[in-house]
Parts: sequence; structure tokens; C-alpha cells
Amino acid sequence: MVTNIMTGLQNISGYIYPNEFELHWGILIVVYPYLTGLVAGAFILASLERVFNVKVLQPVYRLSLLSALAFLFVAPLPLLVHLGHPERSFEMFLTPYTSSAMAMFGFVYAWYLMVVLLLEIWFDYRKDMVIWSKEKRGLMRFVYRILPLGVTDVSEKSILFDNKIGRIITIIGIPSAFLLHGYVGFIFGSVKANPWWSSVLMPIVFLFSAIVSGIALILIIYMVTTMFRLKTMSMPCLNKLAEFLLYAIIVDLSLESLDFIQRLYESEESIKILSEMISSRLFLSLIVSQVILGSIVPMVSLVWARFGRLPDEMRRMAYFIAAILVQVGIFSTRWNVVIGGQLFSKSLRGLTVYKMQLFGLEGLLMTGFLLILPLIILYLLSKLLPPWPDSEAKVQYSQAGDHGLR
Amino acid sequence: MNVLGIPKQILALAFIFTIIIAALVVARMLFIPPSFGRYGHYRADAVDEVIAQEINYAGYEACIECHDEIYEPKEKSHHKGVSCEVCHGPAAKHVQAPDEFVPGAPRKRGYCPLCHDYNPSRPTGFPQIITELHNPGKACMTCHDPHNPLLPHTPEECSACHREIANTKRVSHHASLACVRCHTVPDEHLVHPKFALAQAPVEREFCGECHAKDADTGRDVPRIDLDTHGERYLCWDCHYPHHPEAR
Repeated sequence: MVTNIMTGLQNISGYIYPNEFELHWGILIVVYPYLTGLVAGAFILASLERVFNVKVLQPVYRLSLLSALAFLFVAPLPLLVHLGHPERSFEMFLTPYTSSAMAMFGFVYAWYLMVVLLLEIWFDYRKDMVIWSKEKRGLMRFVYRILPLGVTDVSEKSILFDNKIGRIITIIGIPSAFLLHGYVGFIFGSVKANPWWSSVLMPIVFLFSAIVSGIALILIIYMVTTMFRLKTMSMPCLNKLAEFLLYAIIVDLSLESLDFIQRLYESEESIKILSEMISSRLFLSLIVSQVILGSIVPMVSLVWARFGRLPDEMRRMAYFIAAILVQVGIFSTRWNVVIGGQLFSKSLRGLTVYKMQLFGLEGLLMTGFLLILPLIILYLLSKLLPPWPDSEAKVQYSQAGDHGLR
Repeated sequence: MNVLGIPKQILALAFIFTIIIAALVVARMLFIPPSFGRYGHYRADAVDEVIAQEINYAGYEACIECHDEIYEPKEKSHHKGVSCEVCHGPAAKHVQAPDEFVPGAPRKRGYCPLCHDYNPSRPTGFPQIITELHNPGKACMTCHDPHNPLLPHTPEECSACHREIANTKRVSHHASLACVRCHTVPDEHLVHPKFALAQAPVEREFCGECHAKDADTGRDVPRIDLDTHGERYLCWDCHYPHHPEAR
């Protein structure tokens, strides 16, 4: 036992309380805000095309929606796996406990899934599904017959109505997406006893980092899928994505710097241990990965690629590398918030370390699985509801002006 | 075609959402126990179920009635806060039928370490041992009377009771300092620690004896200017003396 204690003591520095030796929130809780951030970011990107009429983003509109849905399906899984009793989450819906912010997440999630994403996708794809139900054969024909819920009217008036409602849902969806990810920041920001988390800026910083990660994700998925489909990438679309990514990174980095500078200026009693944590335990994940590789390098490369005189191939390569680095950076951001907040002692006198498992429910392999799962779901969704601009079904109206299909 | 001017899309979705909401309502009716919410956000019947459970513990007042000869010394000992049934187990049946049910007494070595084995989270001053090193193989009762657990002899080292501090100090820059270098320990403290407390320094000049600019100590000892360093604060407001992190 003495040997165990002495070995353990070598991993900590300074003084920590006995119950701070082991971290309670591990890598799964890092994955959870990362995934919800991707959902919110992807949806906000989709809304740019729909609500703000950025028509050049049309090639990624449906892809963004489907990506948001695929990642949303997986978003609560890290929490369920972490808690160990997934069946109990059902009770949250049966007996809602309104004063628990964590319990209310169930309703925020259900609202976002049922009222925002599924409805918007249904209204957007209804016309296509009706047409595919006549073109396809076998099982897919059957599926496409069920999915429009019996509404087979593809008249111009009906499609206009679909578009109008889709637009209204997107307008509702933007504050909902803000709520979904702002909520995650709220959970951390409202932990008063933790100086690393307790900040009113937390939900805002989470939100903007979500937008950054969502845009970068769609950029990566669009480039990879277009390449594998042997199609030509829309350069105006990529340029616009890169521009929005750049602006989002600038706002995100400014907000985080503001938060950091304010902490330095306030210089509360925690500042010494937090500085020590940043310069030792979090140096790689915060300074190197989040700030340099995840923010400054992508920012510089995006400015260089977007506004410099470069051939398209080079430009695409720069965008792609920047987007990958942004993903690494945002994952590090989540890591630094979740793990960083537990590395220092509440006595503000010492630091502990996080030892990640490889196997087991909360291990690295499970994390890898949860990060790959949304991509598998997205692949299946794209088979069911192809999001590519060239696969959109076209309605052909007869000259007589009837509202049916030819 | 529209029904009552409502588009078909809305009707179809309203139908689906009605089914989902109805399913939720039915699920609530089926799964929420009827007594849920009567007193608060929990099942009220759970209270009756707990009340209906068999009573196993008699409470120490019941023990005193017959065993006052044990209670009296125990009440004056360090174990006065430990109820009889903590060691002897639930005794409600014993109270009802004293001869039929006789509660046991832990006589093996493994029981006392449940409270007295070293654990850094235990409060300082709480007697703790490292079981493997402390008189291996001997039952605790050989030397200690659990009803009046006085130590057979005065502890030789402070770590007998202050093990957490001793372990922390052992890996610190202050490892080579004896406890009495800083603490004044009255003899009575070794016998009645709670009535005669050891004293700790109260002035910053005490730390200055080693750490002031002009102190007569080794060159590797960190030095500060007492007039300017830390201003009005006491040294231990910032530095934990048992593990001073400043270099």
C-alpha cells in the first residue's frame, strides 16, 4: 500500500485532496461536447444557405443537415456509456425534474432532434422521396413510400409550402442550435467552485467553437465525398466555406483571448495554479494543439489560400489541412475544458494527472468507436437520402399544368 | 387535397406527433408509480416500504440498561462516539431475547483497521497504523482494550497519529526537519492529545529563522526579504509548511 501511495504521489505535484487523485470525468465527457458542437455547427452552416440566402453553399446544404443528424444520434451516447445505466435516462422524460440542468438536456435534445432536424429534413426531402418511390424498386421503393407519410402531392404549391415551412423551421432551429450547444457550455460555466470553468463567457465560447468545428467538418466531408464520388468540387462553395471558417476562427479566438486576458487581469487566487497547469500539464494540448496548431496555423493558411494567388489544387489542399487542424484544435479545446478543470486541486496548491484507459467502457477504443459511429450513420443516411446536388429529384410538370407527375 | 384548409403535410405530421405524445402519456400512466410526487420528486410509497422494514438495530440506550459496567469506562474513552453495535453488530433481537441471540464481537485482526488503517483522507490526529507493519499477526485486543482503547505505551513518533502529514513531509523539502523544530509539544499531548494541543508558529519571523536574507543556514535554502516578500500575509497563507512548493 505504501508503495502504491508513493507511486501515486510521484504523479501529482504540490498538495491535492485525496478525492482529487482520480478524475471522475474522462475522455467520454470530452467527446460529448465535441459531438454536440459538430451538430450545432453543421446546422448553423445549413441555415446560412436556407435563411441567409448564401446560395453558393447550396452543394453542402443537405450534407450539413444529414451530418448534423448523424452526429446528433451519437451525441448522447458518451453520456449514457459514462453513466453505466442507459435505461434510466428514459425516466428523465417520464418524470421531468425542471431544476436540474442536466435532466433538461433530454428535452433540449428531443426538441432539437424531433422538431428541428427531422422535420427540416422531412420537408426538404419529401418531394424527392415521392419521386424516388416511383423510380426505385424493391425494398427502397417500400421505404420511400412510407417516409413521406402519405403526402404524395408534389404540385408546385405543395413544394412551395414545404420550402416555406422548411425556412421557418430553420429560423426556429438557429436559436435551438445555440441552445443545444450553449447548454453544454452552461453546464460547465455554472460550476461556481471551479475557477477554470466558472465563467459567463463559457456558453458563448462553446457556441463559437461549435460553429468553427461544424464548418470545418462539413468542409472535410464535402471534399472527401466529392473525391470518392469522382465529381468536381464547387470551388466557389469551398471558398465561401473557407471564408466562413476563417471568420468563425477569428471570433472564437478573440473570445477565448478575451476570457484569458480578463482572468489574468482579475488575477484571482486561482491564477497561480492555473498558470502552472497551463505551462505544465496543458502545455501540449492548449498552447501547442489548441492555440498554435488548431487556431493560428489554420487561420494563417486560410488567409494565404483564400486571398493569395494559388492554383485551385493547392488551395483545396490548404483548406483541407486547415480543416483537419481545426478539428484537432477543437477536440483539444474540449479536452482542455473537461480534463483541465479537474487537474488542479480545489486547494489551489497542487496538480494531478489524467490516466486514460485503453479498453473498457470509458477507454480510448470506445472513444474511437463513438467518433467513427457518426460517420457510419452518415454513410447509411446518405444511401437513404442522397444529399448530393446531382441526385436531387426533379419534378416534371405536364404542359396542361396538372399537379401530378408525368 | 387540403382538409379544412390545412395542408396535408401538417395533418400527417400532426398525426405522427399525436401518436408520439399519446405514447408518452400512456408510458407515463404505465410506468410512473401512483404515489410519485405526493410528497416531492420521488415515490411516496418508498417511505412506507422503508418504515415497514424489519428493525435490526437496538440503539446504544438499550445496551446501557444491562451493560452499564462497560458503558461507563467506554463513555470516558476515545471510543465514546462509537456506538456498541458498530463493532458488535445489530442487536435488536438480542434485546428481545437476550439468551437466544448473542451478538458477536470481532476478535480478529482485520476489523479494527477498517477505521484505523492508514488512509490519507482520515483527519489528522486520528490514530492510524500500517497494518502490515504494526505488530504483524497479533490480534488488536492483545494490546488494546476496545472499550477503553488507550495506547499500551506513548507513541514514539508523531506519525503514529499524524501519518498523512508525515507522508507528505517525507517527500517535501522539509523532509529532514524534525516536527519539534517548528512545533512545541507539551508532554501531556502524548497522553491526552485533545486536551493539550501541540503549538505551531504564529509569526512570520519564525520561518525567517531559516529563510530570511541574513539567516545562518545552508546556501541551498531559499531566501526572501521579510520586509518586502508577501507583505502583510503570514508565510503559511501561501506556503504549505509540510510540503513547501516554492523553490
